[in-house]
Amino acid sequence: MKIFSESHKTVFVVDHCPYMAESCRQHVEFDMLVKNRTQGIIPLAPISKSLWTCSVESSMEYCRIMYDIFPFKKLVNFIVSDSGAHVLNSWTQEDQNLQELMAALAAVGPPNPRADPECCSILHGLVAAVETLCKITEYQHEARTLLMENAERVGNRGRIICITNAKSDSHVRMLEDCVQETIHEHNKLAANSDHFSLSLMQIQKCELVLIHTYPVGEDSLVSDRPKKELSPVLTSEVHSVRAGRHLATKLNILVQQHFDLASTTITNIPMKEEQHANTSANYDVELLHHKDAHVDFLKSGDSHLGGGSREGPFKETITLKWCTPRTNNIVFSSISELHYCTGAYRISPVDVNSRPSSCLTNFLLNDPRYKIDGSLEVPLERAKDQLEKHTRYWPMIISQTTIFNMQAVVPLASVIVKESLTEEDVLNCQKTIYNLVDMERKNDPLPISTVGTRGKGPKRDEQYRIMWNELETLVRAHINNSEKHQRVLECLMACRSKPPEEEERKKRGRKREDKEDKSEKAVKDYEQEKSWQDSERLKGILERGKEELAEAEIIKDSPDSPEPPNKKPLVEMDETPQVEKSKGPVSLLSLWSNRINTANSRKHQEFAGRLNSVNNRAELYQHLKEENGMETTENGKASRQ
Amino acid sequence: MPTVVVMDVSLSMTRPVSIEGSEEYQRKHLAAHGLTMLFEHMATNYKLEFTALVVFSSLWELMVPFTRDYNTLQIVLVTDGCLGIGRGSLRHSLATQNQRSESNRFPLPFPFPSKLYIMCMANLEELQSTDSLECLERLIDLNNGEGQIFTIDGPLCLKNVQSMFGKLIDLAYTPFHAVLKCGHLTADVQVFPRPEPFVVDEEIDPVPKVINTDLEIVGFIDIADISSPPVLSRHLVLPIALNKEGDEVGTGITDDNEDENSANQIAGKIPNFCVLLHGSLKVEGMVAIVQLGPEWHGMLYSQADSKKKSNLMMSLFEPGPEPLPWLGKMAQLGPISDAKENPYGEDDNKSPFPLQPKNKRSYAQNVTVWIKPSGLQTDVQKILRNARKLPEKTQTFYKELNRLRKAALAFGFLDLLKGVADMLERECTLLPETAHPDAAFQLTHAAQQLKLASTGTCEYAAYDQNITPLHTDFSGSSTERM
Repeated sequence: MKIFSESHKTVFVVDHCPYMAESCRQHVEFDMLVKNRTQGIIPLAPISKSLWTCSVESSMEYCRIMYDIFPFKKLVNFIVSDSGAHVLNSWTQEDQNLQELMAALAAVGPPNPRADPECCSILHGLVAAVETLCKITEYQHEARTLLMENAERVGNRGRIICITNAKSDSHVRMLEDCVQETIHEHNKLAANSDHFSLSLMQIQKCELVLIHTYPVGEDSLVSDRPKKELSPVLTSEVHSVRAGRHLATKLNILVQQHFDLASTTITNIPMKEEQHANTSANYDVELLHHKDAHVDFLKSGDSHLGGGSREGPFKETITLKWCTPRTNNIVFSSISELHYCTGAYRISPVDVNSRPSSCLTNFLLNDPRYKIDGSLEVPLERAKDQLEKHTRYWPMIISQTTIFNMQAVVPLASVIVKESLTEEDVLNCQKTIYNLVDMERKNDPLPISTVGTRGKGPKRDEQYRIMWNELETLVRAHINNSEKHQRVLECLMACRSKPPEEEERKKRGRKREDKEDKSEKAVKDYEQEKSWQDSERLKGILERGKEELAEAEIIKDSPDSPEPPNKKPLVEMDETPQVEKSKGPVSLLSLWSNRINTANSRKHQEFAGRLNSVNNRAELYQHLKEENGMETTENGKASRQ
Repeated sequence: MPTVVVMDVSLSMTRPVSIEGSEEYQRKHLAAHGLTMLFEHMATNYKLEFTALVVFSSLWELMVPFTRDYNTLQIVLVTDGCLGIGRGSLRHSLATQNQRSESNRFPLPFPFPSKLYIMCMANLEELQSTDSLECLERLIDLNNGEGQIFTIDGPLCLKNVQSMFGKLIDLAYTPFHAVLKCGHLTADVQVFPRPEPFVVDEEIDPVPKVINTDLEIVGFIDIADISSPPVLSRHLVLPIALNKEGDEVGTGITDDNEDENSANQIAGKIPNFCVLLHGSLKVEGMVAIVQLGPEWHGMLYSQADSKKKSNLMMSLFEPGPEPLPWLGKMAQLGPISDAKENPYGEDDNKSPFPLQPKNKRSYAQNVTVWIKPSGLQTDVQKILRNARKLPEKTQTFYKELNRLRKAALAFGFLDLLKGVADMLERECTLLPETAHPDAAFQLTHAAQQLKLASTGTCEYAAYDQNITPLHTDFSGSSTERM
């Protein structure tokens, strides 16, 4: 179905003249007596709906089905007509829902049987309907803006469904003439007016569906007439229908015709019985949906056509057997598979309030969920940006990487790809680096792949050089993200010190790491592209880096010799950063930790317990010693005094 | 799209083609030469294509059958345009097309989607001298215009046959090569079968949409969240120059070419992003969302062929900003880290999908429909049931009462309000001795309010105004006062 076919705009014109207040003469028993309470009570007399009530509830049902299956782009304008036209809503998407229409209809109320019939006419509504069809919808506006100079390609077609009580065939003809005349006038006006191009459009095609409704048991004064072209713009059809459920059935058939709907009946759905909760019986539920859903069935020649459905003898329904999913909780199920699916279609239950229907829909509907707030930036672009950052350095196979095989690197690797870092992130990165320095000093083995190398693979110091190189590549790929990323690099450069002459020797000696260097190169190329503008700033950073490097080298100048072997477990390093002034040379770690601690201590008042501590331990509940034992025992704790 | 080659082997195909100073060719030879070229092209560039060969003159014979099921077909008909005479000839068949019975239907249009390419071993002038061209054009028309007629430009010779088949290859058998991208990771791939151009809406923008040759991954999502979405078509995504992958898919094509094999062996050792992606998607149970063009997306996923084999596949969604309503607008999907709190919860035990529509559908909002008497009766019964359990059920009683009141006001069904009011008054008189005094108060109050509403005066019949429970106090203090 084209977007701007006749179904894009539907105008309901419902007669609100005094005679519509007449009864449809179809009784409804509403006082159904419950068993055990029937003795001696006469049920209240049945009531009957007015022609108006029948018309309104049938057209609401038409809208309900339409909105369920086409929540967007299929619009309804509701007009009631008596001594004038009352337009109940507009084409805007916000006005397109049942609640709005119901509220507006309640405000109109039933027709006043005592109003002067001479003043009232359906014609007011029909004229208003033509006017409203000329009004541009937001979808038409959007399409026209998009097409610019080809804006005229956007069609303006529509349908008027008029429910009235006509007097005769000639009366019907008069109504048709009126619509045709009004369209003609409006289109002529449109051709000569600039204003039209902005918010109004000429009507290219209008389908008039006139429904004459009359009380059950009366003879119809109007005859049915199939669709007929009255002019190139206007076609008209006439339906003469008894009120009550006959009218509802007619509108149900029409909504299916107008929106290309078809019916599917889901059979054998097991449901718990209302009365006996432990037993279950099988039910059928009939659904309406776009008929495209059946295309493949019809093509395959495998016709599941079940003949006339129970609801009406006019339509065919395809029957499908219910298959209970493997897990009831579809959404949370861990077993999730992709199935080949050629189409998904919105549905509307034919009998929305029946128990089987609501059982099925409640099963299919999930608990209410919340929506993610969209930020100003397009989230999908942010997602692409994140992928870009995450893949700046991404070794594709395990044997190509050292750092991504090391648990110790995770705290750094997981945050360095972020767009911005917090102070805490920087601190964690620095800790990671110190940790690695520590590992190097302890000569811990590294998970370097020996695949493809002969013998035992590179020596330990060589392994660390590879690891540091790779880590540097990773961090360098992100230094332009923020100033804090640069601080991480500075720290890295300061910590990974190596004697220059040794470096030279290695360069001469080995070509084995060419592989690693290649991946570095790719990232460096990228970096160069990105960062040439910042080269000045970078230079400054590098200078600073060198200074710190020099500093670090001084510290390391007395390297492997007398330094106390670090036998402390790694955890402690994180938790007790304060350094005991002790004999022997100060390690880089303690130097750095001291610096951080001094900086931090300026920002807060030292915890009293730590201030009074002896050997980093403070005794708790000291005041208890000073107080008498009574209170302590009262607290329910045995006093050890 | 599998291909059927239909080759004319009638006597007229053996007509010699006069070429100066060379050995004598028949049209049949030219046809064979052209087809050889087509098959060679497929064998190298279009390996996964399935072909079948049928020959015909007055009878037909299937020379090579398909080895797999098919949905859509390309049919390459090779003929010299000599359509024969009398019963059974194309001319006669077309003339008597309308006289056929249902069981003996004219074969065109085919009952499946298809393209019919007619390769004429003749040049245009030759065909135009008779009505052959018209008859062949009728065939394309009968196939809903799907297809094309190719004729030889210039004299009939090997070279011109080659250029004619070259045009067919360009039109129908060019492999679709693309670059699959995910940030800085890329891989050259072939997408098979070729994604066909898609026409969105004939009215607004009839230009067919073609997918990008840069396929950019924009994110990843759980299979459970995307939940078997409807797709336009499915395609294999094969890394180029990786013959091994091709084998895995089951083409069963072996290459005799030594050089190519060694090239493939080298390629097999270079890490490929497709392998990484395929493996990751399989392990994580996720799909990758890929951008195919402006406002057009698809998904990449691992599809199991059998227990052991699985392939990287790409499915195309319908073009548009919101192809899957339960995910919302594609452009609004973003990284989890951007959300204030993790939408999947700390324990990964919830999901932000499916999104709730702004306006609930009728089946999710407890609408009132009284078209069938049973609908109305059920609603009245609900009120009555709750009325008998007052005051415990006060809240539900008024909720149901107000629901009925709202619908009755909207439908202009004021008689019902009066009827229900009468019913509640009767219930009041039937209350047992043991009933709580509040029940009588509430029933009388509700009946009164309904009666007022049934007058239709604005004051009492406002749609948004609900009937609220009568405020009563039966606690000790008020009893004392009484």
